[in-house]
Amino acid sequence: MRNSSRLQPSHIKIATCEPRIVARILIAIALFYLALFLGLPLFAVFYEALGKGWELYLEALRDPDAGSAIELTLIAAAIAVPANLIFGVAAAWAIAKFEFRGKNLLITLIDLPFAVSPVVSGMIYVLLFGAQGWLGPWLQEHDIKLIFAVPGIVLVTIFVTFPFIARELIPLMQAQGKDEEEAAVSLGASGWQTFWRITVPNIKWGLLYGVILCNARAMGEFGAVSVVSGHIRGMTNTVPLHVEILYNEYNFVAAFSVASLLALLALITLLAKSIVEYRVRKDSQTIPHGETE
Amino acid sequence: MLKLKEHSVLPGFNLALGFTLLYLSLIVLIPLSSLFFKTATSGWDNFWEIVTNERVLASLRVTFFSSLIAAALNAIFGLVIAWVLTRYTFPGKRLIDALVDLPFALPTAVAGITLAMLYAPNGWIGHYFAEYDIKIAYTPLGIVIALTFIGLPFVVRTVQPVLEEMESEAEEAAACLGASRWNTVLRVIFPSIYPALLTGFALAFARSIGEYGSVIFIAGNMPFISEIAPLLIVAKLEQYDYAGATAIALVMLLISFMLLLIINGLQGWSNRRGMK
Amino acid sequence: MSITIQNLNKQFGNFTALNNINLEVESGELVALLGPSGCGKTTLLRIIGGLDVQNSGNILFHGKNIAHRNARERSVGFVFQHYALFRHMTLFENVAFGLRVKPKKERHNETEIKRRVHELLQLVQLDWLADRYPAQLSGGQRQRVALARALAVEPQILLLDEPFGALDTKVRKELRRWLRRLHDELHVTSVFVTHDQEEALEVADRIVVMNKGEIEQVGSPDEVYANPGSPFVYEFIGNVNLFHSRTHALWTHQHGDAIAYVRPHDIEISSDPHPSSLTAIVKQIRAIGPTVRLETATLPDGEIVEIELSRERFNATPVSVGDKVFIYPRHIRLFEEKKKNPEFSAIAHHS
Repeated sequence: MRNSSRLQPSHIKIATCEPRIVARILIAIALFYLALFLGLPLFAVFYEALGKGWELYLEALRDPDAGSAIELTLIAAAIAVPANLIFGVAAAWAIAKFEFRGKNLLITLIDLPFAVSPVVSGMIYVLLFGAQGWLGPWLQEHDIKLIFAVPGIVLVTIFVTFPFIARELIPLMQAQGKDEEEAAVSLGASGWQTFWRITVPNIKWGLLYGVILCNARAMGEFGAVSVVSGHIRGMTNTVPLHVEILYNEYNFVAAFSVASLLALLALITLLAKSIVEYRVRKDSQTIPHGETE
Repeated sequence: MLKLKEHSVLPGFNLALGFTLLYLSLIVLIPLSSLFFKTATSGWDNFWEIVTNERVLASLRVTFFSSLIAAALNAIFGLVIAWVLTRYTFPGKRLIDALVDLPFALPTAVAGITLAMLYAPNGWIGHYFAEYDIKIAYTPLGIVIALTFIGLPFVVRTVQPVLEEMESEAEEAAACLGASRWNTVLRVIFPSIYPALLTGFALAFARSIGEYGSVIFIAGNMPFISEIAPLLIVAKLEQYDYAGATAIALVMLLISFMLLLIINGLQGWSNRRGMK
Repeated sequence: MSITIQNLNKQFGNFTALNNINLEVESGELVALLGPSGCGKTTLLRIIGGLDVQNSGNILFHGKNIAHRNARERSVGFVFQHYALFRHMTLFENVAFGLRVKPKKERHNETEIKRRVHELLQLVQLDWLADRYPAQLSGGQRQRVALARALAVEPQILLLDEPFGALDTKVRKELRRWLRRLHDELHVTSVFVTHDQEEALEVADRIVVMNKGEIEQVGSPDEVYANPGSPFVYEFIGNVNLFHSRTHALWTHQHGDAIAYVRPHDIEISSDPHPSSLTAIVKQIRAIGPTVRLETATLPDGEIVEIELSRERFNATPVSVGDKVFIYPRHIRLFEEKKKNPEFSAIAHHS
């Protein structure tokens, strides 16, 4: 690894290295900035949550409202992630394995939800399904409640996490090409056999990576969900919304206690992400791409 | 010859594309288009009146400038972090590398309440500044802090791969030609990471423009001073002023689309640079 | 099984990849599709295998039109240029894949699959690596696995796309010989694509030379080399000297715009003038193995003419750099300029 030789003993001067003192200063700046903006807040969440003792911490988590918030968050993620998983695989299959007109436009459109403010994401569903919305009167007639109810929360969660899995899979499957699939078909495999036995094993890490990121966002989304939820305690509160309510009631210990669950989720996400990245790097090291010997 | 698709032996194109388009339309395109129709039905005069309202303009201004400052901060420090992570070794490097993505993983509400607590006048960091009568939380400065937090990974993650893949030969050649290290960095390394740096900046900026959750707790939300545009949308929605909310949302959406186009252009430029 | 190709056309947008191709491949033959990159040879191979579809024209296997059959149903073995091995499967599983995806009724039981896979791995001499993954193999080994995998489904026709393209010279030579032997053993109708003339000349029963989506010439390796049908084939296969008829009417006996093609080893050299000889100055002499290569420049135009002599022939009349010599062709072929059909099918024999 060339990186390891970058820091040279001070008496040796290498033309492609900075002087040792410059390197030290740069490292110090980077670490200070990261400690200030990432390390300190992360530490603060857990400190505030546990600072007044385990008793209060567990009490905040045992609150039935907290329980129902956790339940709702899990439900929303359990619907949004599989839905976007199926979509991501279908979109990537069409885009990576076939040539057709308008492909680039389609890729841009898939990325669209990332460009939309969370608040606007929630609002467009209110405009569609809200009491004064397009379909509002019709929905009321049939006694269907989407906005300020669980279905609305699930819908906006799907919207804000829409691109995650697709955008992981599209470049991956494009890079892998369709040679292996064509080989499978020429050996007599059917479409589904090719998909399950060749494509899925090849994209499993990318898939998992997308699922991890998608899930983190699905469970943590605040702005969009806040707009459509109506903040009904014990009914339409997700975990992030519950944190907001507790904080606004100046119940800081409880707020940070519940927040610490989400911070824990973030740490697990980062860990899982790192593991997948490590596995992918290991796999790609054993498979040389240039095949000349 | 007008042909929609090249032939392929692989099956499932119609099913996959059909499902993709249906899902895309139902989840994204139709809901988004409701914004345009709503604006059209309330009339453009009305739209113009709402978006030129003093309070709306002020909130757009606050959003725009705090995003700009936060993205600029992240461009500078993100570059340093990317450089340090690719070029030097030090203990705990891999842990720190993984931690850079924390703002992507940490729910914005958690970031919001934590930063508000830290930078409040009696908070861990805020009380140092309070001694000099500087308020951070509940002022535009607080907004910048929150936006800096959520935009931090963008520049690092766009610049880092470019630095990693950069040929060390170019640097060595420059050194052999007699360039000083500073000159090499300035004339050889910087020009090749410049497009990626701009892309990262634009991505961080775009994210900041729409940000809501991490900002509202620390901003103080005072009209004309520390009220961001997304918050104003929520406020109008809560008063059932759908026309007002829609108008602001449309302006923000148009800004986002413009940024998306710029980012796509920048990424194309960055990739072409990297191809050499 | 024989392959018949009739009036085959293929366009990619405005680009014509194949223009009215007609070709007959006999049962049990080993045929090479030879041409520069972009000549359409891979497209033709993929259409035969059912991986691409023609815009018009027919393909017949053993006299039966197979246009309606897709790649699964053609019982064709396809070996891909970059092998396309399934990277997440062992060699054994790679070779077994075709047997495992057969419809339930036709599928063999596990013992039979095992037996046949091991038989095939023995055939390609890789039985001892059955549990390895493709990433752990060398390029030559991967190519052999790809072949074994294609053979597992007992194809009637074997198609190989640049089978040795990504290998280094030594492995290539070995594999070439090995493929020839394997073909002689199995006698399955085989078509392979290559841009390497040496490979085609050495391995194939017949060569199909292609250029810009059209077939230039079909013939045995000897025919194609000794009797190129067009200037393109002349230039693509082997070395050749070009003479413009206007300046060398002496050789061509022709005053129109024609180009004469002469192979370097078909030029005779002597110290005495010959009725139709040109005068030339020796510029460079290089002895490479059993042959000696001379670079001469004609007088007075200074056109470079390459000459190849056997070592014995050279030793009989040694020349050195700077000498004036007389050169004349033993064998010459004329083509009208800028057209590819030979205007003169007659071959001039001078010696």
